[in-house]
Amino acid sequence: MTQGPVTRIEERLYRIYMEFFEKAERERRWSLFDDIPWDKINKDASDDLALCVETFASVEMYLPDYVAGGINVVRPWFGRAWWQANWGYEESKHSLALGEWLMRSGKRTKDQWFDHYNTIAEKEWVAPFKTARQMTCYGALQEQVTFVIYVKHRDFAKREGDECLYAIYDFIARDEIAHTRFYQEVVAVLLDEDREGTLADLAKVFAEFKMPGVDLVPDYDTRILQMRDQGGVDRDLFIRKVYLPVLKFLNIGRHEMLAAQRKALQERGEARGAAGA
Amino acid sequence: MSDQKDLLGLFKTVAERVDRRSFETVTRDSVITDLGVDSLSMMQIVGEMETELNVQIPDEDLVEIVTVGDLCSKVERRLA
Repeated sequence: MTQGPVTRIEERLYRIYMEFFEKAERERRWSLFDDIPWDKINKDASDDLALCVETFASVEMYLPDYVAGGINVVRPWFGRAWWQANWGYEESKHSLALGEWLMRSGKRTKDQWFDHYNTIAEKEWVAPFKTARQMTCYGALQEQVTFVIYVKHRDFAKREGDECLYAIYDFIARDEIAHTRFYQEVVAVLLDEDREGTLADLAKVFAEFKMPGVDLVPDYDTRILQMRDQGGVDRDLFIRKVYLPVLKFLNIGRHEMLAAQRKALQERGEARGAAGA
Repeated sequence: MSDQKDLLGLFKTVAERVDRRSFETVTRDSVITDLGVDSLSMMQIVGEMETELNVQIPDEDLVEIVTVGDLCSKVERRLA
């Protein structure tokens, strides 16, 4: 049997997925019904806390688009495609848990919650990058950002005395960092196969990165200000908790990244210039 | 190159190249995020300055940079 480069990548990605899946099955699975201390909701928690929960849930609720967009782009890669299906299952629990918290805490009625979903569903998320490799780089960054923000908001839930929400954020954060590691391990494989091309894609994604809820979630700008204030999320956090850790994990030097970023930032500047012209 | 004025000048030159706009009014007291420079452009500016001056600021020091003066001071320390 011929062992071409494509086969090697497929095998490596399959192995990464199986390691991820085994760990998920043996150590990380959690139940919406059995593991969340619903009796420890603090019904006197602030409306700010509820708004932040609703914002997280809103972003998670574009799941049908994320799954549809993601699984088709990686369909030819066995390990990646199966991972995408599993990812969808894990992410589906996030919005369910957050929605349940909103309703059980009395912060939103059932009607309000379903009306909100209908508003969310009026807009469609479109994948921000065209290729599987770029989307993998995007996943590596986006999941890491999401993990960092959930951890920050876990502290917010603790300050508000809501042990239930603390547990939900904790479970979600564990999922998100596992997703981050999977994506980053895949990017590492892609770097091995084509370092220059993958660096260029990573630089492009860094340069054009934005969170999935931008331009979709109602009142997004106002919500994000609240999320930043309450979670203690500042702009430097991206460098400290995302940019530098991602480069370190992938064994990419800052100056190696610099060269790739020059072109990406130039293209971003030209695109912004054209948009403003 | 290691005096304050030159480093500030270098910052302006590099920032203009990276962000494609004027930074003429910037001082050492300017807070970098207030200049509308995003995190990635900031990393690029730091990297370009390191390359020009052949110095390397440790990653752990990068997160302490708030103002243009902070960046200049980090570079000065490496040049000394």
